Amino acid sequence: MFLDSVLLILQEILEAALLLSVLLAVNLQLGAQVSEARQLGGLWYAAAICCGILGAAAFAWAMPTITGWFNDVGQEVTNAGMHFVIIACLYVHCRLLRKKADSERMRSLGAGLTLITVIALAITREGSEIFLYLRGISGGPSGVTSAVLGAGVACGIGVSTGILLYFGLLSLSRRAALRVGLALLSLFAGNMAAQAVQLLIQADWIPYSAPLWDTSGVLQEYTITGQLLYALVGYEATPSLIQVSSYLGAMLLIASTPLFRQHWWSGKISA
Amino acid sequence: MSSIRRFLIFGALAVLTLFSFIAALRGYQSSMEEAETLFDAQLLDLSRLVANLETTPATRDLRLGNNLAFQVWEHDRLGSASHQAPTTPITSRVQGFEFANFGGFRWRTYTRHDEGHDRWIMVAERSDLRFLLAENIVLETVLPILLGIPVTGLLIWWVVSKGLRPLEQLSEDLQHKPAHDLTPLAASTAPRELKPVVRAINGLIGRLGAALEREKRLSADAAHELRTPIAALKVQLHNLSREIDVHSDSFQQLEEGVDRMGHLMEQLTALYRTSPEQFSEHRVQLDLYALAQETVAYWYPLFQAKGQTLELVGAPAQIRGDPFALDTLLANLISNASKYTPAHGHVQVSVKTLPGGVVELLVQDDGPGIDAAEHSRIFERFYRADHAIEGVPGCGLGLTIVQHVAELHQATVTVGSSSFKTGAAFRVVFPAEGRA
Amino acid sequence: MGRPTRVAAASLALLMSWVAEAGVPEILLVIRDHLFFPSTLEIPAGVKVRIVIDNQDSTPEEFESYPLNREKVISGNSRTVVFIGPLPPGEYPFFGEFYPKTAQGKVVVR
Repeated sequence: MFLDSVLLILQEILEAALLLSVLLAVNLQLGAQVSEARQLGGLWYAAAICCGILGAAAFAWAMPTITGWFNDVGQEVTNAGMHFVIIACLYVHCRLLRKKADSERMRSLGAGLTLITVIALAITREGSEIFLYLRGISGGPSGVTSAVLGAGVACGIGVSTGILLYFGLLSLSRRAALRVGLALLSLFAGNMAAQAVQLLIQADWIPYSAPLWDTSGVLQEYTITGQLLYALVGYEATPSLIQVSSYLGAMLLIASTPLFRQHWWSGKISA
Repeated sequence: MSSIRRFLIFGALAVLTLFSFIAALRGYQSSMEEAETLFDAQLLDLSRLVANLETTPATRDLRLGNNLAFQVWEHDRLGSASHQAPTTPITSRVQGFEFANFGGFRWRTYTRHDEGHDRWIMVAERSDLRFLLAENIVLETVLPILLGIPVTGLLIWWVVSKGLRPLEQLSEDLQHKPAHDLTPLAASTAPRELKPVVRAINGLIGRLGAALEREKRLSADAAHELRTPIAALKVQLHNLSREIDVHSDSFQQLEEGVDRMGHLMEQLTALYRTSPEQFSEHRVQLDLYALAQETVAYWYPLFQAKGQTLELVGAPAQIRGDPFALDTLLANLISNASKYTPAHGHVQVSVKTLPGGVVELLVQDDGPGIDAAEHSRIFERFYRADHAIEGVPGCGLGLTIVQHVAELHQATVTVGSSSFKTGAAFRVVFPAEGRA
Repeated sequence: MGRPTRVAAASLALLMSWVAEAGVPEILLVIRDHLFFPSTLEIPAGVKVRIVIDNQDSTPEEFESYPLNREKVISGNSRTVVFIGPLPPGEYPFFGEFYPKTAQGKVVVR
């Protein structure tokens, strides 16, 4: 139970922890760059995390009902919908964080609200599975202690990775940190899109297509490295064409924002 | 990175947690695999043992432990079997290890073909139980690593705090350093990494001190050197008064101007003589009341000329102090009171010993008084109260000098309202003898 | 047979007939005592299949398969649906993520 619990919970926590640390670092680096008003306060993050945890509990509680929607594929459709909302909010957030805008105050508020939504939804999505898992094993016959121990280890690994990524991004020069941070955000959006499409295939809303490639011989998804890559860049051993294309599409969407262009493309030309 | 402490503690803890947890997971994984191999070997042995069983009525329903089961299939007939085994084959007739579900549990199975008797021997072990058994053992070895993290966290916190102590000490020292304290920081106790910082700060302090010193000396010297020309001016003015019309406006203004300049020079000299950095004190035991008597006597004619009354009340009070500086303090307070009190006004000087041994000097007048809003500003250099009466000579240094002298005696100066109907009161409280 | 059970059975029958009309074969997979019954599902190659998962345990379980790319939570004492395929022949293991030591199974595509 121990290792299974670690892997299951790590998968959920890593994604949220990495997203949170990248968003924190990017906003901090941008805040250091321009005005004080741009710097989104810690209160936003605390509120987002609280909303996310409450949302996760509520989502887990309502899971039996939700599953029944849309001819028993409500779970897939709702999760996919959450993923699309996360991508949209991430896109708007990046747009609002660009240089020069007409209304500083409105933009700051908008950036804060989209930030809250992204973090809260990501935590709701990941956290609900943890709640369900803990409920699942607590009523079961065996290994509750080792499962809880595993949950602790997973928390430790997930949070530590997040902290190290955050400090790593802060220790880079502002330019490099923003480049890496924004690249990670676009990968995250791609990951979200691929997962959403996968869920819709599972719900039979999108037709099944054969995997484009199979890398399970090289790296299994069900390993710590696999989980880390899954959380960081959405590693999938057997993706289908539509998953790969939606991944690239969401990446390009984030990469099309002025903020991204400013720090990646124009920076590259002037460098 | 807004805080070094936070970075060090969280960074170190994160690295430690990450790598020790991953190491623990690796350890768990390989130990579990090892245990699986061991259990499989035992299952294999069991199958060999069962293969040697003769099928008798006694072996048809053999009682084994709850975690084990076996079947012996002679062609399509079930020969020997343990009491837990179902009547159907528990696994397929393929030699080797497999998993199977029966009896509401998941089992690890091993199938062996006994070619001599053409029998199939199937043995099974509860997979959940053997897993739990192995896990309990393995977790025992992993647990210390996990439980060690909080303890390590505390130790890291302690080490980081200890390591940052000199830095915090330095910043505290700098923060609490009084404004006029220009002594260098102790460089010998600073750790190697901070020595350059301390040296740089000491260099700055030294240069600042030298600059201040130069400025002071320049002002004091200038003030001192200007005394002679001013005295000469006064003599020439006196001579001039015999030759021209002394009632002309120009002459009167000239005389006033020269007087004011002379006063300013004297005050400047007094100010720099009494400034803490400059002052070389000669403290003696003295009676403040007696000293006040002398000063009052000295100033009495001036008061009489303006029709003002000046009285001294109180009793002898012993303090330790510098007579010259205290005389300057008294003179400034008394002349100040005279200046801001209209003709026929009253000024009262009182000296008394309060309970607890502190000595209070109070100079109060019945002039217009001072607004509360101005109380904090009147001690600033060159500050003059808004209502400073037109034509009253003054340079705004008197109260600064008073404060300097008070500080030299560890005394406090406060300003408030007098006990007359109107007017200001300056209260100087000297610490009890023996404490100063 | 209680009324809710009857209603469930009736609606299931309705659902199955609808599915039959749509031409998607259906397979029942039961979860009991954190075990899958049957633990081997055989399906034909190149056909989309609808798996109805019936969780008879009181605890939730998550049906998960990496080769099939499927992941779905099934609440305690409830049933739900997962579509798989069309698939090329081969073995596709799946497991219950909450009890992976016992809840193991595979889809065999022939």
